[in-house]
Amino acid sequence: MTEAKADLAFTLEEATAKISDLIGAIPAVLTEYRCPLCEKVFASYADLKQHYAIDHVGAVPPVTVMLTLNGKNCEVLIEPHWTLKRTLQFRLGLTGAKHMCDKGVCGSCTVIMDGRAVLSCQMLAVECEGHEIQTVEGIAADPKWKPLIDAYCRWDAMQCGYCTPGFVVSAKNLLDHNPNPTEEDIKEALAGNICICGTYPRHAQAILEAVEKMKEGAVTNG
Amino acid sequence: MADLAGVNGQRENFRVVGKHNLPGKLSYALASGVAKFGIDYALPNMLFAKFLRCPFANAKIKSMDTTRARAIPGVVDIVTWEDEDIKALGQSPFGPPTRPYLDNWGDQEGAEVGAIVIAEDEDICEEALRALDIEWEELGFAIDPMDARKEDAPKIRQVEEVPDMFSRPAPKPRNKNVTYATTIQGDIDQGFAEADKIIEYDLTLPIFASHMPNPPSSVAWWEMDPYHGDTPDLHIEGAVQRRESVGRMYGMSNEKTIQVGVFQGGKYCDWGMRKSQEITPLLAKRVGRPVRCANTREETFDFLMNKRYMHLKVGFKKDGLITAVDDYSIADNGVYGNSSFGAAGDQGYGPYYTLKCLNIRQQMEIVDTNSGKMYLSGQHCPFNWDAGTMAIYLIAEELDMDPIDVARKNLHGPASQEDVGPVPSFEACVAEGTRRTGWQWHKAGTKKLPDGRMHGASFRYQMCPRHAFSGYECKLELRDGEVHFPTQGPCTGIFAVECNAMVIAEELGLEYEDVHIDFDFREKFTPVGGGSDGSTASSWAMKECANILKGKILESALKAANNPPPPSMFSFGMPKKENPLKGHTVDELDIINGCVCLKADPSQGLPLKEATTENIFATFSGRPPTSLWTMGMGKMLDTMNALFCEVAVDTDTGEVEILRMTAVTDPGKVLRPTSFESQIDQVMFFSQGCQLLEEYVYDPKTGVKLNNNMIDYKKPTIMDVPTVDTKYLETRSGNAAYGANGISHSLANTHALIIAIHNAIGVWVDPPATPDKILKALGKA
Repeated sequence: MTEAKADLAFTLEEATAKISDLIGAIPAVLTEYRCPLCEKVFASYADLKQHYAIDHVGAVPPVTVMLTLNGKNCEVLIEPHWTLKRTLQFRLGLTGAKHMCDKGVCGSCTVIMDGRAVLSCQMLAVECEGHEIQTVEGIAADPKWKPLIDAYCRWDAMQCGYCTPGFVVSAKNLLDHNPNPTEEDIKEALAGNICICGTYPRHAQAILEAVEKMKEGAVTNG
Repeated sequence: MADLAGVNGQRENFRVVGKHNLPGKLSYALASGVAKFGIDYALPNMLFAKFLRCPFANAKIKSMDTTRARAIPGVVDIVTWEDEDIKALGQSPFGPPTRPYLDNWGDQEGAEVGAIVIAEDEDICEEALRALDIEWEELGFAIDPMDARKEDAPKIRQVEEVPDMFSRPAPKPRNKNVTYATTIQGDIDQGFAEADKIIEYDLTLPIFASHMPNPPSSVAWWEMDPYHGDTPDLHIEGAVQRRESVGRMYGMSNEKTIQVGVFQGGKYCDWGMRKSQEITPLLAKRVGRPVRCANTREETFDFLMNKRYMHLKVGFKKDGLITAVDDYSIADNGVYGNSSFGAAGDQGYGPYYTLKCLNIRQQMEIVDTNSGKMYLSGQHCPFNWDAGTMAIYLIAEELDMDPIDVARKNLHGPASQEDVGPVPSFEACVAEGTRRTGWQWHKAGTKKLPDGRMHGASFRYQMCPRHAFSGYECKLELRDGEVHFPTQGPCTGIFAVECNAMVIAEELGLEYEDVHIDFDFREKFTPVGGGSDGSTASSWAMKECANILKGKILESALKAANNPPPPSMFSFGMPKKENPLKGHTVDELDIINGCVCLKADPSQGLPLKEATTENIFATFSGRPPTSLWTMGMGKMLDTMNALFCEVAVDTDTGEVEILRMTAVTDPGKVLRPTSFESQIDQVMFFSQGCQLLEEYVYDPKTGVKLNNNMIDYKKPTIMDVPTVDTKYLETRSGNAAYGANGISHSLANTHALIIAIHNAIGVWVDPPATPDKILKALGKA
């Protein structure tokens, strides 16, 4: 065991490098199958199932699920009732989707699935197989969305920052569908995200600035 | 202008301080999802732990059999209150000092009690908790302080006296669940005798759950480090600002209590630790693996503003001058803890001491209940402030005066309660606020809007309180030509590190981006202490430190210019460039745009990296001079703020729309405007939530919490809150950096909306003023 890795990032480039490390560390396929009840490790899923049949009679064995996450396929071993949120944190090491209410109310765990914002605390991971999932890490690491992240940081559209990734994902989802939102559009799109620090007035400023920057970037690059 | 004691306190030209839109130093980590909070940590081979929670409002475990629970596959260990290592565990810094860390008594629903399960995952923990065979003895309970103060109420606390967060003893005398606190100034009988009129009224402040966004959690493990001796280090993530305190619970030194995470999440002045943040080191030691313990949202639904009943009697003259104030409060004190702000400490300084009136009595009953724990202050409106605001309003109603005129009539001057002169900051805030709002006062229930709704308005003033009494241990370093600012953090959302970095950049002639923050838990410096007044106070100390560093840099640069190293064999005979600083004195030098240069001709200079290669440190220990307000504890006034609120009330539906919220504040000097504006957004959000929406509900029959979740307890969303019209003034009359002092939470949880609703409909509605309560008050439901 070593010290928990420092999670500091002073620039978007530093944050992106950390995200790249995180996503890079996720294996595409499993090479070992750990029993969640006794921590024994098996070389194949079949061996694990056999272990259950012998040593944990009556217990429901974990299942393997192939997720498509931020453009990358990854196999995970989870229990069938695990949510996507839980899977992201405890199997894939991605903690951008946050646990706040765990009831589908606060939006802090928002991810995008097949182009639609969904609450990862309310999605079973087994339901996500075959769907494209994008988390805040994938958004932040995509240069296209640099103006959005920059604007959030410039406008302090965060205080403690715990709910911020959920807002960023909702904002990105809005701009995917409506690249020229009004302030009212922004409010409606973010109505499912709760910020207990009360940063609401800052989000529209940030998103509207990002829209302008993205337009300028499109002109420059176009 | 204040800040007379500090270097450059009178600075007039600012390049960095006061600049908008400088990103927080760790904002990219937060926005990208890279930042980790206590609940986010997941380590290889990690186990999970959960406390048994009391299902009753007050109960004791008579017996517990863990046999069935231990037999569940995946259960690794079960710790009970009878285990020796739990018995030996030191008490948490905020726990009751005479109770064990864990015992068999659950004195509120949801209290950690009796047992902790450690298992391979949380589902197994919960299954094992359900499998514990427990015989409970239900005890009598009282949730509401009005019930708990009755003679026949059950006794709530075993402990008679519990010190507050500052180790001050609880007030005396005590009668079962009630302690009494009384402060008296002058002669209130004489004051009432002098009055032309007397008004009396009641006010209730409900429980407010401004809970932390991130449920408190920690992960701990023990590990040998050959550089740290022959005993293992304690590693803990999630203790954040209380790392040292948690380490001390386990006999660990600061050096051997290791925590690299700095993200703390929103605290809103809730500085209490939860057991989930403290217990993991013990559990990890027992099982030899990392252990995580996380609260759920329901387990974190603590109230941060205690319930309080207030009765106020005010005597006043025909011209509105108050002659006597008699304030009686009954405040919830919870099951343990003793909030110095939420209860007796409020009386030392408060709204009444801003008045010329010298006859003031404040009496408070502080009542223990089974409602919850008192986790220190909470982000409440301190000091019974809104009882005073209501007095101003009711006198205005009675005399048909503008409440601003009533306030002005009663507010004493800056120097003392006898000072009849105006408070410049108050007058400036009022002038700006009335101009922005087009302020026009009207009596209650007299103004109908064109759409048929009733219009209401309210005015409120308050001083900017100061809680930053701590000193600061500052250190700065020039390393390889770059300025480093070592700090332990934490990152709480108030951008306090950033304020300090801006001041460093200002004083050292650098840009904000040039100041490198070295987060390290071993560092002594932490920029917090109080609210925004803590940021400005630490920035004052850092300003001094920056100037010490600057002096050392200039001396070093001069030394290098006058005594350059001899040519080395690697200079290959190339002539060295003439150093433009050579032959000058320190007084003739400055640092501008990252270059050490001549004051007289800034084009003659060298970048820091070239001017000196020395590794230079500067330290400063201290705090700014005591503020005027602090010296008087409310009886001397410097910076003030004013709030103007307008609402429309639909008397058919009971709906309230906030038409305008205008906050004009004077924090002395704004160091970081983006976060200052954001701070006002935050307190307005709290105010709107607790006055219009948020209500904590208990089942009166069982004392069980009914809505401790985010579905049933309604927090405002972006659709609910209007944009606050914010204007800040800069009179620079504060005590901290450049005359700044912040506003702390002086605008939080105001009664502005409740008063404006009364002004609209002419009847009082206790918060939260939900439509059903408004219709009921109007006799329509």
